Amino acid sequence: MYANFPLHNYPTLTPTLSSIHGFKHQSSPNLRTTKTLYLHLQPTKKSRTIISCAANSSDSVKGAVNWPELLEKWSPKKFVGADKLFRAISGATSSPIAQYIPSPFTFVHSVDPRIKLAWLFTLVILPAKSNAIMRLSLVAYLAILSILVQPAQVWKDQLGRVTLLSGILFIMLGLSTDSAPSLVSSRAPPPSLMGLPPFPTSLEGYKYVILKLGPLQLTRKGLSAATTSACLTFTIFQSASVYLSTTTPEQIAFALRWFISPLANLGVPVAEVILTLLLSLRFINLVFDEVRNVALGIVSRRINWPQMTFLETIDVFFTYIRRIFRNIFVHAEQISQAMIVRGFRGDSTTHKIFLSADSSSGVANYISLSCLFGLIALVTLPKYLIQ
Amino acid sequence: MLLGPNGCGKSTLLKILAGLLSPDDGFLHVERPRSFVYQNPDHQVVMPTVEADVAFGLGKLNLTPDEIRTRVAKALDAVGMYEYLKKPVHTLSGGQKQRVATAGALAEACKVLLLDELTTFLDETDQIGVIKAMRNSINTSKGITALWVTHRLEELEFADGAVYMEDGKIVRQGDAISIRKFIEDKLASYVNQITL
Repeated sequence: MYANFPLHNYPTLTPTLSSIHGFKHQSSPNLRTTKTLYLHLQPTKKSRTIISCAANSSDSVKGAVNWPELLEKWSPKKFVGADKLFRAISGATSSPIAQYIPSPFTFVHSVDPRIKLAWLFTLVILPAKSNAIMRLSLVAYLAILSILVQPAQVWKDQLGRVTLLSGILFIMLGLSTDSAPSLVSSRAPPPSLMGLPPFPTSLEGYKYVILKLGPLQLTRKGLSAATTSACLTFTIFQSASVYLSTTTPEQIAFALRWFISPLANLGVPVAEVILTLLLSLRFINLVFDEVRNVALGIVSRRINWPQMTFLETIDVFFTYIRRIFRNIFVHAEQISQAMIVRGFRGDSTTHKIFLSADSSSGVANYISLSCLFGLIALVTLPKYLIQ
Repeated sequence: MLLGPNGCGKSTLLKILAGLLSPDDGFLHVERPRSFVYQNPDHQVVMPTVEADVAFGLGKLNLTPDEIRTRVAKALDAVGMYEYLKKPVHTLSGGQKQRVATAGALAEACKVLLLDELTTFLDETDQIGVIKAMRNSINTSKGITALWVTHRLEELEFADGAVYMEDGKIVRQGDAISIRKFIEDKLASYVNQITL
């Protein structure tokens, strides 16, 4: 005997599902499509009826969407990029970005960290307050300084990335600032209708529109906005990079503590801020190590990425991120336990942190401070003199 | 030295002695100050540079900067790491980090050193370097007792005495040679059981 009929159409002819031993519903509970279940009844030699159920996907209800199938259909089929990405992460250099580089020991290394921090603030503020020539001079100065104080592979990498970012910003802002037509038009009639001669061309060759590229145009306003933002981006990133690569974390903390210690009178938890800064600087390396090591663990499993579906690949990525976070939290827990073992009781004011900043040279400090004041004077004084 | 199979309670005992865990029952007395050095140096080293990390444990002692500097220099010298004083921790190898962690414990001038499998993550050269540095610093300092947890029998050569644990109990204690012989006999009988 062989029967093949929809269960829901002939409920009375079939045994109830609960009464069948070993019955398995093969339709996934996650699927929202309504599928017709067929019951196959097959006689065996012992005249025992074996019942199996299978879902017939062809009978899906019209209009119902199978999202997993749809997602698979429209997603990239061969995710070989994942392998390259994990290999790139696992093979990345172990030296973290923007960390202290002890050698070669340069002139900037020997400057007091407080003076260097003052330089950092000045270089962040000055581009916004100065003219285009001064901004470009600051960029050139920082680029030369980076080349002089950082190892070749570091400054090449760092300068390349920051220049690319600043260049993209410059082009985008320069061409887009005045390219969009203004929706607001002047209510005043043009000079030709009023019988007035048109505006005379500038005797000095002044032009508001500097360059036209089809619908895009580079104007003086656009140029100013582009140079300001590009130079500001460059100086912020590059001055921070030079500062971090020539100053130990303890010196950074020492300088910051010196500057913000008056705030303790206003109730600012200076000691906690400094300890948090130091722990963060210590933790950066551990995070880099974890990201690299977990990626290495995935690469070493030799996953056959082309055979994996899009969702499976995404799942591996989520597992990767979850694993990184778990390991980082374990590190955090262990380090906090080590701090307790070493006598820290949660009060940063009673547990003193030893911050050594004795590597500065008097001559270097004097020259550096003089240059700093000279630069500030060069940028600010002309404005007052013109007024 | 404290030896025993995995899960026998060596690290738990060490953590109880360090005050990190409370015993369910019994009584223990440990001289103070005491220091604990972890198996993984990355868990022990708290500060981003060598000098600041070794000095971290001294923060509770209310010392002058000169005293701190002297103690840090002595401790780093004892483990052969003085020239790394200003180095960032992330530029050190595993063995060097372990020595820095040990120097941090030594700088506190503690009476009891609790050392949890210091050489597990180290290669042979670093392993010997750390053991010798520790032995040297204990020899030069007076009144220090170090309890060293290990799985490596060759490290018994540097021990004054040894304890063997099994299932949370001390099975045997004595001089390093007798404990080594006891463990090797156990190993031989285990190998015989397998081959028979």
